[in-house]
Amino acid sequence: MGAASPFLEPGTRTSANSLAIVHLSRDNLLPVILQESKGEVDGYAEGSVINTRFGSFPHTTLINQPWGAQVRASIVDTGSRGRKRKLQDQETAVEDSEGAGSTTTPGQATPKDLETASSGFVHILPPTPEVWTTSLPHRTQVVYTPDYSYILHRIRARPGMRIIEAGAGSGSFTHASVRAVYSGYPKADDDARGKVFSFEFNETRFHKMEAEVEAHGLKDLVKVSHRDVYNNGFLVDGKSPEAECVFLDLPAPWKALPHLSRSKPAGVEQDAPWVSPLRSDRTVHLCSFSPCIEQVTKTVEVMRQLGWMQIEMFEVSHKRVNVMRERVGLNMPTDRGSNLSPYDVGEAVQRLREVESKSKEFHERTQGVENGEVDVDMDDAPEAQKTNGTPAKGANESKAPISSSAKPYMMGRLIHRTEPEIKTHTSYLVFAVMPQEWTEEQEAAAFAQWPCGRESKVIGKLDKESRKREKRELLHAKSKSKRKRGKDGEAEKAGEAGETEVDNEQDPKRSKPDPQVASS
Amino acid sequence: MHSLVEPNAWVAIKLPSENLRVLQLTPNTTISLGKYGSFPSNLIIHRPYHITYELEDKKDDETFNRLRIVPASELYSDILSSSSFLSPDSASPGHEGDDADDVIPTGVEYALVDADSGAVVAKTDRAELDAEARQSLTMEQIEELKKDVTDAGRDIITKLMLSHTAISQKTEYSLAKYKLLKTKKYIRRFCKDPAKIMDLREEMIGLLGCWANVHFGGESRCLSEEEQEMAANGVDSVTKPEDSTGRWLVVDDTGGLLVAAMAERMGVLYPPEKDEDGINPPQKRRRDSESQAEPAGGEGDSEAQAPSAEQTQPPSAGGENPGQEHVVTKRVKYPTGDPRHKDDMAVPYANCNTMTLLHHNSQPNLSFLRYYDFDNTNPTQSLTHPLARHLMTLSWLQLLDPSADSTYANEPPTVNPDELKSWKANRRGNYHRKRRRWARIRHVVDRTRSGGFSGLVVASTMDPTSIMRHAVPLLAGGAPIAIYSQTPEPLTALMDCYSVARRAAWISDPPEKAIGKTTEELEQWAGTDEFPLNPSLVLGAAMQTSRVRKWQVLPGRTHPLMTSKGGAEGYIFTAWRVKPAEGRVEARGKGRTKKGKSGR
Repeated sequence: MGAASPFLEPGTRTSANSLAIVHLSRDNLLPVILQESKGEVDGYAEGSVINTRFGSFPHTTLINQPWGAQVRASIVDTGSRGRKRKLQDQETAVEDSEGAGSTTTPGQATPKDLETASSGFVHILPPTPEVWTTSLPHRTQVVYTPDYSYILHRIRARPGMRIIEAGAGSGSFTHASVRAVYSGYPKADDDARGKVFSFEFNETRFHKMEAEVEAHGLKDLVKVSHRDVYNNGFLVDGKSPEAECVFLDLPAPWKALPHLSRSKPAGVEQDAPWVSPLRSDRTVHLCSFSPCIEQVTKTVEVMRQLGWMQIEMFEVSHKRVNVMRERVGLNMPTDRGSNLSPYDVGEAVQRLREVESKSKEFHERTQGVENGEVDVDMDDAPEAQKTNGTPAKGANESKAPISSSAKPYMMGRLIHRTEPEIKTHTSYLVFAVMPQEWTEEQEAAAFAQWPCGRESKVIGKLDKESRKREKRELLHAKSKSKRKRGKDGEAEKAGEAGETEVDNEQDPKRSKPDPQVASS
Repeated sequence: MHSLVEPNAWVAIKLPSENLRVLQLTPNTTISLGKYGSFPSNLIIHRPYHITYELEDKKDDETFNRLRIVPASELYSDILSSSSFLSPDSASPGHEGDDADDVIPTGVEYALVDADSGAVVAKTDRAELDAEARQSLTMEQIEELKKDVTDAGRDIITKLMLSHTAISQKTEYSLAKYKLLKTKKYIRRFCKDPAKIMDLREEMIGLLGCWANVHFGGESRCLSEEEQEMAANGVDSVTKPEDSTGRWLVVDDTGGLLVAAMAERMGVLYPPEKDEDGINPPQKRRRDSESQAEPAGGEGDSEAQAPSAEQTQPPSAGGENPGQEHVVTKRVKYPTGDPRHKDDMAVPYANCNTMTLLHHNSQPNLSFLRYYDFDNTNPTQSLTHPLARHLMTLSWLQLLDPSADSTYANEPPTVNPDELKSWKANRRGNYHRKRRRWARIRHVVDRTRSGGFSGLVVASTMDPTSIMRHAVPLLAGGAPIAIYSQTPEPLTALMDCYSVARRAAWISDPPEKAIGKTTEELEQWAGTDEFPLNPSLVLGAAMQTSRVRKWQVLPGRTHPLMTSKGGAEGYIFTAWRVKPAEGRVEARGKGRTKKGKSGR
């Protein structure tokens, strides 16, 4: 076993050759395997460098930082790199001796040599399946956090369990499920810990997945197999994964379902004795993830035939919510995001009054000067100009004191609204359970251990008969000891009230059995 | 979780009406389901979960009803037959992949219906069909059946009856009597009163746990011998946050639902299994590894011993149970006397994979955990339950001002062993109990205050801003934060504390009180009107909501359910704790000049 995966036990600091997430902005997260390089890499004297729009970050400045650290950009010579390389190529072409020199001359720059650039900073975060899901390289449709969090909760993936995942895809579910079932790294071959058994049909994706698992330190916890599960099932090296949870993200899950049977299902051609991939002494929980309703209908039908119970189908609707300040008002600062219309009726009326008085003032002035010679056309134009001008001026006047004292982030009303674009459909989730098999011998043994017929008391809801009987007994007991009466009477009353309510609900069905009995 | 129903376990029984009944299975009692009848509890003890039973009629020589396991084929016979009824119409000409479907086995019960009337039904005229149905069953019976098959329409009922005439009248009737016995230990099952659990839906629990990155937090590496000694001598154990991973901070006002859900994710919710098969259950292994690492129960307390320890435990003797006895013989603390008392100052808590609960009352409300055999109010709660070692609780007062808390501040006086010996057993037990409690509180408080937590999960009715002010400094760098609220308002206020404009202002135009302070001092930012929280300590503040919608899937009648629960929508705030760089940070950005700093 190598170092524990940074997904599971990240430790307190970043380390070399381990995955870290460089956080640029909310939706711009960059997964990076930090490399402690010696000498020049790719033309950079500083070794491996991450270039972002916030500046350049040599890996050496990111290694051995506490998680969550804010790291400033460094001054890295990015410009001459291309030229240098070109030059180098030419030199090698022309004169071999000179070309070799240029790669070795720049000495390794240590972090101390690096100067801080003012272009910005990044934060460095430990990888989690959530961060990975938002930053991973897409190979297929991704199972996003709202879906996988609900699925893993429903199929009860817990530490120590073994989970089958068919259709590894982009690996987001793989990472989430390995975290869910992780119960430590196995210390020996027979040390059965929580494990993910992942099956992928596409060869390219399989190889990428395998490399990813290795790079993330999950090799002992995730077994990736290149497999056509429709035809070849879920056994690994002929052995059962002993799974308690199953997640199917396949185009035709019904073709894979027969392989997930407790005993050999009819129609499966196989000479070898049947080995079930499911754990025999536990209930198995399954989720199938399909985007189309036709797939669901077909899957559910086959599930019913194969004896899956409690089949339920769900759809997850997830929304991200943006929070902002809505600045509406005539005296809000005139920057982006402000709405310079009246905040309320009062403000609107006040503004109208101002306009009104200004125009009156103007009229009086013009009428006084021009002595009754009123030209409607002439009069209108300047008035319009005036009215347009006034509110802006008024706003500026009253704004001035506000903008100096109040902070823009304190102004306006706090509101929230759903993000501009939402994923309205990801996939349908079909859940089902398969109880363990229970033979007649097991039942007989259990019955022998827990014989019946010696029941002393009754729990749960009572039927009318036994309720009456209990009441009679109670009354009988009461008459014997008067001290108890108050207490029991109350309790009894409370109990009665509860019962009647439930009875009423189910009353219509009450007489149901009778006609049936009569007819049989 | 156990494979079989244990005696005295809590189970949920699903009734034909789809209602759930949660009961504790006491052996030798009768479970009454009202009009559905009653049966002995012994009939489901040591039987698997998730099985559907039918209540059988009493046999002549027996005083109880037996249960019959209903196979899936019988359970789905009506649906499967109706799908066969529909198939001729639904098989569209361009239906692809039919050949490949040969793999699908066709069940026997399927054939049964088909062979008899099913095939004919498909071609019969509707009027005829109804007439035929009425001939075999009376009108009342049809009405009854209608009520039975809840969400199916009139069509399905008719079909159902036809197909069942092929089987028997008896089976038809028994449809009404099916009982589904389900597992307990499923969080949703107990959500009887949504108000009590803050309307916390399953999808929200899942999201909270994922965003807070709650998972099995590493093998228990318990305190070394020297540290044990130091603790024993009353010296505060040296807390090394560097060593301890997988510690989560929880604030839970749902009566323990959130704690249970997080404990499930960490693998500490279920009591160790009494192993009866070849495959090692993880819980058992984990407990073994723990018991090897720590002195208590050190010499592999085997399966047989563990339960006996539980049973013989004296009900009120102040937490001394036989399980602890042999421990003491190993580390002889009081050479002069009674070897029964182990060191009072040794704390039972693991230092990895733990949860620390902050509560607002003097005692936490964890009533929900009793369904998982854990009662934090019971002083004799056995240490075999993993929560006993992995769940620590402390009040906000103990966290913020421990000296004001009498349990923490007042050390019970030590008594010299000789004097102790002269005391009565009762008084002595009391003395040890107090000493032990003090040591526990001391450990929990000191450790919590030293910080370094790997994540924060909150579902509280308290203002999240105030929780963040005190909880964020306790988190390790990069630790995720997930806060649930029933309504959006408290979270929008919190989001606003981390708004882009405020973050930018914190750097470019810092408040007077913050000027000249170091990063460490600013971690304890007390809050002003303009900056209720230090916005540079948290990154990626985001808010989301999620809701699942259930669908009915029946052949030809697949659609979302017509009604579902309303109530609080529920929102989740997520973010990460970060460590700001010392000094002034330039953030010029490049390219998108106007948006350059957004979200940072």
